[in-house]
Amino acid sequence: MYTLKSIKEVLSKSLPVILLYFLSFSSFESLKQFPNLVLFSFNFHMIIIYFYILKFPEYLGIGHIFVAGIINDVVIGTPLGSSSLSFLIMCFFTTYIKNVTLRSKMSAEWFTFIPAIFFSNLVFFVIINNFSNLSFYYIELLTNSFFTFLFFPVFYFLFVNYQKQFKND
Amino acid sequence: MSDSRDDFIIAIRYSLLKKGTKQKFSLFFLIIFSIFIVVLDKLTIPPIGFIKTTLKDVVYRVTVIASSPGKFILYTGSKAKEHFNIYDENRVLREEIEVLKKNEFDNSFLKTENKNLKMALGLEAIQDTEEGSATVAKVIIDQESPFLKSIIINKGTKHNISKGMTVFSKKYLIGTVIESNYLSSRVLLITDLNSKIPTIIEDSDINIILTGNGNKNDFILEYLPDDYQLQPNKIIFTSGKGGFLKTGMPVAETYLNKKNEVKVKSLTDPQQASIVRVTKGQFRN
Repeated sequence: MYTLKSIKEVLSKSLPVILLYFLSFSSFESLKQFPNLVLFSFNFHMIIIYFYILKFPEYLGIGHIFVAGIINDVVIGTPLGSSSLSFLIMCFFTTYIKNVTLRSKMSAEWFTFIPAIFFSNLVFFVIINNFSNLSFYYIELLTNSFFTFLFFPVFYFLFVNYQKQFKND
Repeated sequence: MSDSRDDFIIAIRYSLLKKGTKQKFSLFFLIIFSIFIVVLDKLTIPPIGFIKTTLKDVVYRVTVIASSPGKFILYTGSKAKEHFNIYDENRVLREEIEVLKKNEFDNSFLKTENKNLKMALGLEAIQDTEEGSATVAKVIIDQESPFLKSIIINKGTKHNISKGMTVFSKKYLIGTVIESNYLSSRVLLITDLNSKIPTIIEDSDINIILTGNGNKNDFILEYLPDDYQLQPNKIIFTSGKGGFLKTGMPVAETYLNKKNEVKVKSLTDPQQASIVRVTKGQFRN
């Protein structure tokens, strides 16, 4: 009984890591997975990384982010290391925001997500353009970034409520 | 001014070098390591190539398992939809059979006429130039990506699949092998922006390049003359220019969309292919 309880606890604390790996392996493109239902996608990786590095960095190691990025590259067919670098730039930007912010507010964090997405995507585009022959669907990527930004508050509240169960840690 | 600049540098240095609680690596180290991997990936060194293909094979296998719950949900949904549409589909298929029967008679007449005319002109029948036989492969991953419209098949270098081979679903061209690992390969679909096929439009002598646009219902026709008026319901065939593909393979067709614009769509949905045939050159039915 005790073992089961401890396994459950470990699993629930590792949710962001599990989710990140699952998204990378399944190349999950959020709501776009359902054909003829919704015509947009958002980058769930970015939301998880930004939120957890900003609010609960002890629950999401950057080593995991790096490995998840490599897996993501293999699955989606982009040059190895490009997603990792993009995610790590997101981490760097988020850590910087965390360091210079005195009083955190959801709205402020939401708006600082824009430059974080911008720099992260910029690094990704630069790598793809210089290290591969791939062409972009620029409009699709722009929509993807926009909806990533738009959906952030929804997941912010979901994750904040989820993390409340570990507030004694 | 100087203080604020110092604060900025300190904040950046702190973000890059400070290891947080339970963090084993510093951000700086991982960023440098990622750049190193990107550069290594670009270089074609044999040991790196071996590690890359092994890593890809392993990841693809895990991806098959990870994407199976999602696939199952989609499969159940599509089956339910098919069940509800079965009566309408039956009626449409009956009508199509009638049209096809008529076309079959026309085709056999044209075939005979063509043969007689060739005999009269003294031309020999053109031989097919297919090199080797087709390898049948199963699509293991068909997840869409915003960067690359591709699928992963379960055959690789072990089964003599190499980069550049063409891939067919049923009898329609759907893509080209762009990456070949030991047990799996990645196929770039014709719907991808990077796919460019030399083609010709039915009832015309206009050579064009059929380019993907990420959507099976919206191909781009490059080098189409400005004064040429594209007509709906015309089949687009491979022109065989460049010698890569056989001439006359149907790839796409023109159609009228809801806004009454003539667009080009593929004859088959490459993303829906489950069993494909991989050949060195052309597919012979």
